[in-house]
Amino acid sequence: MATTILDGRKLSSEIRGELKERASKLKEKGVTPGLGGILVGEDPGSVTYVGLKSKACEEVGIKEEVIRLPENVTEEELLNNIGRLNQDPKIHGIFIQLPLPKHLLEEKALAAILPEKDVDGFHPLSVGKAWLGQSTFFPAVVIAIHEMLTRYGYDPKDKEVVIVNVDNMVGKPLASLLVQDKEKAKANVTLCYPTTPELASYTRRADIFIVSVNRPKFITADMVKEGAVVMDFGSNWLEDPVTKKRKTVGDVDFEAVKEKAEAITPVPGGVGPMLVTMLLVNTVQAAEMQSGVK
Amino acid sequence: MPAEIIDGRKISADIREELKQRVEKLKGKGVTPGLIAILVGEDPGSLSYLRGIAKGCEALGIFTETAKLPENVTQEELEKKIEELNKDPKCHGIILQLPLPKHLNTLRAESAISPEKDVDGTNPVNTGKLLLGEETFLPSTPSGVQQLLVRSGNPPEKKHVVICGRSNIVGKPLMGILVQKQTGANATVTVCHTGTKDLPAITKQADILVAAMGKAKAITADMVKEGTVVIDVGVNQIKDPETGKFKLVGDVDFDAVKDKAGAITPVPGGTGPVTTTMLMANTIKAAEEITKS
Repeated sequence: MATTILDGRKLSSEIRGELKERASKLKEKGVTPGLGGILVGEDPGSVTYVGLKSKACEEVGIKEEVIRLPENVTEEELLNNIGRLNQDPKIHGIFIQLPLPKHLLEEKALAAILPEKDVDGFHPLSVGKAWLGQSTFFPAVVIAIHEMLTRYGYDPKDKEVVIVNVDNMVGKPLASLLVQDKEKAKANVTLCYPTTPELASYTRRADIFIVSVNRPKFITADMVKEGAVVMDFGSNWLEDPVTKKRKTVGDVDFEAVKEKAEAITPVPGGVGPMLVTMLLVNTVQAAEMQSGVK
Repeated sequence: MPAEIIDGRKISADIREELKQRVEKLKGKGVTPGLIAILVGEDPGSLSYLRGIAKGCEALGIFTETAKLPENVTQEELEKKIEELNKDPKCHGIILQLPLPKHLNTLRAESAISPEKDVDGTNPVNTGKLLLGEETFLPSTPSGVQQLLVRSGNPPEKKHVVICGRSNIVGKPLMGILVQKQTGANATVTVCHTGTKDLPAITKQADILVAAMGKAKAITADMVKEGTVVIDVGVNQIKDPETGKFKLVGDVDFDAVKDKAGAITPVPGGTGPVTTTMLMANTIKAAEEITKS
């Protein structure tokens, strides 16, 4: 039986196509979706990532404004800038590129974003509403995984979902989406630490298995049930022993696990390419909600 | 071997002893912790619950009062009352007794409670903080379950906790509490529900099984692994077939399960008494926070 490869690049470009249409509908009504971003310092990873977001916004028809602040910016200045974006009616969504330099409290900065514009879904109010099953924004990785599952026909309803990751950015918000008593949710969800004793006894029960621990080949074939859907959100640099070139791999021993899985995400090309697109989905949705246009 | 019975009344009394000392310390600084309940209408069940809380508060030296509003109160009037209590310096904790009459928006009312006085942990901001592992008020029922586990010598660390039921007041916040990388938590947690297809297959995996489905005898002996710690959050009124009298039972078939479980909470006398105690603990914490700043 051929394993389905969950193609994040393909899906991402499909979704961007849909977003383009929604953005142009908004424009017909005089609303250009706007995304405001804050980048502190010049961390190369962050700079690259913000660049990807800008390019994607342009492709879809979202107006983007990135405020670049120096590494040594004070908390007050940072909060003032967040406040400025909060008040700007042309900005419908706001992101703060993480990590922030150590002298700034991420918790405080994230909580300063207006919840209606919190398209990263990190504000405590957004997190709480999500957990309570109310309408709100979910972090990009959460909707990325959920969209990949459902668009490929893997409805999590009544499935056993095992997530190896208990972080605020991945495991907890994913559980939050999947346990709700709603369509395309209503799963039995288990949150495991990578250090959970006898981890394999949990993972082998999973119909849908999601992992994000950033350890190459952490998930081996014996940890996976025959026919499982495997979502790998790990990203690790490995040197190829033959070519000596560095390459990106996930947390799953892809070659071995794909023989057992019903469907699997590759790394790269799986969840990763979906992330920026999901931020755009939230931004367009924020614009629709704030302008009352749909 | 029959299960150890986890005595909620005893654990609750132990916690209250500790709380008494904290209240005295506060009083030494001239602060009397205050808990004010808002009750809309005259539901007898709610009245008796609030009487229980008032009694417990008085015994500890916590000031308590019930703000009674008529059944037909408007949303605006209710929120005005909440706003008033948010500003009232003798009130450190506010509880909004549920359910509210149908014409009122519960979520909006809960969101109006100042997060610093939200001792039931129902404001969504506090729910978010709980899940994020930030300092906040833990809702009393799941917080009580955590205390029962820790204080009965069955800490959840590294254990597989299976929670049956995923309500906003028990199942979900309990998952949120127990998955944190913190002492008294750090568990591997599964949440399932009454609609789960093969529920016994999951419940049998549990080292700690929490029943919060609101269905009498939903957890039977064949669903429990030998030696499991069973916490019963259910409160159901059933009619005794022999005497014809009503009695309270939990979600667990206690008599059958107790022969397999390692430890088990009874109903009544298990999670119930600890729940109200945690509400008092949160009120004292709120008063301490205000004194600090």
